[in-house]
Amino acid sequence: MYLRRFILSAVACAPMLAVMSGTAQAQQVPAATAQAFINQSGQQLVTIVNSSASTSQKAAQLHQLVEQIVAVDQIGDYVLGRYINVATPDQHTQFLQLFHELLSYNITYQIKAYAGISLVVNNAAPLGDDMVVNTTINAPGKAPETVGWAVDEVNGAPKIVDVIVAGTSLRITTRNDYASVVIDNGGAVSALLNAMQNRVTQIAAQ
Amino acid sequence: MRIKKLTKTAASKMACLAVPGLLLSTALSGCATAPPVSDTADYQAYQQINDPAEPTNRFFFKVNDKIDTYAMKPLAQGYVDITNQPIRDHVNDFVTNIGEPARLANFMLEGKPTLAGTALVRFLVDSTIGIGGIFDPAAKLGYTETDTDFGITLGVWGLPEGPYIYLPVLGPSGARDIWNLPVEYFATPMEAAPASEALRIFTYSETGLHLISARANYLGTVDQINATALDPYATFRSLYRQSRDAQLQQIEQGNASPAQ
Repeated sequence: MYLRRFILSAVACAPMLAVMSGTAQAQQVPAATAQAFINQSGQQLVTIVNSSASTSQKAAQLHQLVEQIVAVDQIGDYVLGRYINVATPDQHTQFLQLFHELLSYNITYQIKAYAGISLVVNNAAPLGDDMVVNTTINAPGKAPETVGWAVDEVNGAPKIVDVIVAGTSLRITTRNDYASVVIDNGGAVSALLNAMQNRVTQIAAQ
Repeated sequence: MRIKKLTKTAASKMACLAVPGLLLSTALSGCATAPPVSDTADYQAYQQINDPAEPTNRFFFKVNDKIDTYAMKPLAQGYVDITNQPIRDHVNDFVTNIGEPARLANFMLEGKPTLAGTALVRFLVDSTIGIGGIFDPAAKLGYTETDTDFGITLGVWGLPEGPYIYLPVLGPSGARDIWNLPVEYFATPMEAAPASEALRIFTYSETGLHLISARANYLGTVDQINATALDPYATFRSLYRQSRDAQLQQIEQGNASPAQ
């Protein structure tokens, strides 16, 4: 019950987010700008998810949207963590390619569970370098979910750099997931790339 | 510094000693091998993960996965299939209400009188007007639920989370949070009632309903993690620790938020 019992609390996430401030060193996005950005992005997301298009069509549209509104490379570098110094330039490039593919897959997987959703933008609160916009996502037959979107300025434009649900950060969780694979394989980044490639191959076979 | 190091070492040893008490197979013995201290980055990562019983924990993770696949998940899916969200909300309210006395006690131990008062009002209002907790009129009156337990209480008292422990059947826990189990077992309204066959049946039923309801709340989430994570064990470990940290900070800052 723990996870469910937590509604997103920006204050509660402060120490975690403070640790993650390495993704984009830029001015903090004003609250109103971040809210407007999430509102616009969220409505685009909702439109795609609720459309009558096939799952593959929705996946392609979502992939395109994600590339526009999410700082995928910055998140990827955060997720790779200290192993970014161990990886060769080729490995780093390969990692980012695989990361883009897996992120798309993860989003596609999630949309299968949703239809008829609506998104309401609530308050925004600064945390570290990020501005976290709290939203409520309603889906038929499901309890409302509170989701926080960490927004930062990347290359002069607001981008999503993290998603926070029930006090848990997506990029911290993914970083710990990937680090575990590297550690279990004696610090070899190649093992992580193999695991990611295997997962991509599994997805393609489905 | 030395005391801190000794405390951490002692805690690690405690976990490595306590967990084998739960083990039945000698094949499972052993803790994760720490990298040499001279290997600074790896050693720091090992300390940060703080999972010295990882081989054993991973074994129980696999065991629980089987139990989940063949028992808990089908039961939870069946429960979802024959109920709708309002009914499941009422079940959640009922289970939550039974936990309010324990929350009341923990908030008092944590030195949070306002939250303790809220838990008391919630239990009184929901148990009576809410017909035994099936409804949650207290929330509509502004007395929303804030969760806590004895593990959080120990955290408020300053006890560190300690090594990660993955329990058979019960799942993620830690050297600090594991102390919640005996407290939760005794701190229910049923313990105060006179023993009877009907009470025994009620207690078992409530426990079963609690487990199935909790699992049903995570049907999609668990599937998603298993489908997308490269190492689901590490992912669940990370999620558990982050959520416990967030919960502790929420309580410490008195930033009570409404329950779902």
